[in-house]
Amino acid sequence: MRLRLPSIRRSTPLRLAGFLLALFACVSLASFGATYLLIRSSLMAGMKDDLQRQMAGFSAAPSASALAALIANQGAVTDPSRMILSYLAPDGQVYGNAALSRGPQGYLQIDLGPGKKGNPRNYFGLAGNFFGGQLILAESREPLEALGATFLDVLFLSLLPTIIIALGGGLYLARRSDAKVARITATLDRLTAGDLSARVAGLPRADDLAAIGDGVNRMAAGQEASTEALRQVSADIAHDLKTPIQRLALMLDRLAGQEGLAEPEAELAGRAREEAERIVATFQSLLQIAQIEGGSPKARFGPVDLAEVARTFAEIYEPSAEDSGQSLELALPEGATEVSGDRGLLGQALANLIENALRHTPPGSRIFVRVRVEAGGVVLEVADTGPGIPEEERGKVLRRLYRLERSRTTPGSGLGLALVAAIAEVHGAELELGDAAPGLVVRLRFPAA
Amino acid sequence: MRILVVEDDPTTAGYIADGLRQEGHAVDQLSEGREALVRAATEEYDVMVVDRMLPGLDGLSLVKSLRAAQDRTPVLFLTSLGGVDDRIEGLNAGGDDYLVKPFAFGELSARVSALARRPQMKEAETVLSAGDLRMDLLSRRVVRAGQEIELLPREFALLEQLLRRKGRVVTRTMLLESVWDIRFDPQTNVVETHISRLRAKVDRPFDHELIRTVRGAGYRIEG
Repeated sequence: MRLRLPSIRRSTPLRLAGFLLALFACVSLASFGATYLLIRSSLMAGMKDDLQRQMAGFSAAPSASALAALIANQGAVTDPSRMILSYLAPDGQVYGNAALSRGPQGYLQIDLGPGKKGNPRNYFGLAGNFFGGQLILAESREPLEALGATFLDVLFLSLLPTIIIALGGGLYLARRSDAKVARITATLDRLTAGDLSARVAGLPRADDLAAIGDGVNRMAAGQEASTEALRQVSADIAHDLKTPIQRLALMLDRLAGQEGLAEPEAELAGRAREEAERIVATFQSLLQIAQIEGGSPKARFGPVDLAEVARTFAEIYEPSAEDSGQSLELALPEGATEVSGDRGLLGQALANLIENALRHTPPGSRIFVRVRVEAGGVVLEVADTGPGIPEEERGKVLRRLYRLERSRTTPGSGLGLALVAAIAEVHGAELELGDAAPGLVVRLRFPAA
Repeated sequence: MRILVVEDDPTTAGYIADGLRQEGHAVDQLSEGREALVRAATEEYDVMVVDRMLPGLDGLSLVKSLRAAQDRTPVLFLTSLGGVDDRIEGLNAGGDDYLVKPFAFGELSARVSALARRPQMKEAETVLSAGDLRMDLLSRRVVRAGQEIELLPREFALLEQLLRRKGRVVTRTMLLESVWDIRFDPQTNVVETHISRLRAKVDRPFDHELIRTVRGAGYRIEG
């Protein structure tokens, strides 16, 4: 599985690893620093003791000349890169392995500048005045500097693997949890899309994410069971209600078909039959909306050419529009207008929209059926030049059985747009009601097939 | 015709049987699946009307068993399940047509007679006729009383469906299914509108009316 950078940056294990790493680095730095300072100061103390001791040894010389001879001897056998000795005699003569000018008594820092090999020559020294002259003893600071370098090396060597291990471990854990989170998210997506059989599978080990996965599975199982129960209840209701409605329809058929029925009774029987048909239509629509909302039509989806659907239905309704003094105009684009869907349902949605337009616009109105290809999808649109729907009512008309005040007396069940909304939803299409100025425009935006 | 009606609701079954008998058919009536399978296997019927939900053996299994036994008697399924999947399931099981409850008797009657004569219609006909009207399916020309009639493609298809079931009622829903491949009931009277267009071309210029309206059922073209 490929990891997206933003998601890994948000990953909990990686954040924890980073935090622990920073903490560890701080503690390491502090303890290394303290140790370094301690060792360094004890080294310095050692150097001071050594210088004091040697100074005391030389101070035992009986005269300036004896001291000068002693220093000259000692200087000849001492490596100046380790230690320098220098006695500035009262007569101005300098003895020892280095020539240093006179300065104040006590400890001092000496920098002789880069040596022949380019190595810096820094010393820590002690100056003492004897017999009118000055004796300076100084030891190289190199051990101190070497100590610093060693400490830096050790610090680096111990921190680097820690960083690598912590980062690697964090990344590994992040990947693992990211894969688990991705599985849970994918399952939730499928559940949201209506596939209630989706389950989070194969989460290894019982960690907190696996517990969440189990929770999702339990929720989905419960949801599936209640949906199934609901479906069963709907099927039972459908069956139990349809039987009496079926009998009623057959009885009214017989009544209306009876010979020698007087005109008022015949008309009454005819009207009763029409009402029964209306009950059936409403009932059928409610069942169908429920079925579509259950998502089951998705299993039948295939490529559907929206232009072909629009052409068919424009042709079906064109004579009806003409008869009622309206006009039905079709506008189709060049090129592919295919979407993934169910042709029957898409046709029914378009039929409902055209029928709405025919029913709710006065004679002389124009009705347009258009298919457009836009970036990222195909748009199916039905517009009219009728009175339109006030903006604040547009959301409500998508509800089941909702009807505008002015439309209460016109035929129709109030389920047409609710069915269109359900069909749009199952196709992943966006349903939009707008102002065609004047009139209403209903758009269905389909994602590219 | 001999018709077997298998329906567990006695009231519905009674009305269907009575209605079919009034039309001159011989009707046997059963309410249980297993019993129906035995009867269908031992006797010859022209058409069977079978409810999908039956006690004993359900309608789908009944028809599957008959088909497995090479019984090709046309079957009309009756059902309360109106989903597309249910329809496909019914047709896959070997049903020839599918009628969702509640239905009008005229619809059932028209579909039963359409099923019964289907085998003869399978023969390749190239010319259909009714009275003085002739339709040539190959050249796609329609002539009535020596006069050529210009029809739009859908009008031609509509007239063809009526002619193929000459003398019998064709319902609005049957026309919607066969001409436009629509399986829902439009609220607007689209079929009536198209029929009136067709009449304006086929009947109005002539003294004799071929396309008849059958009240509460559909249309019929007279021979």
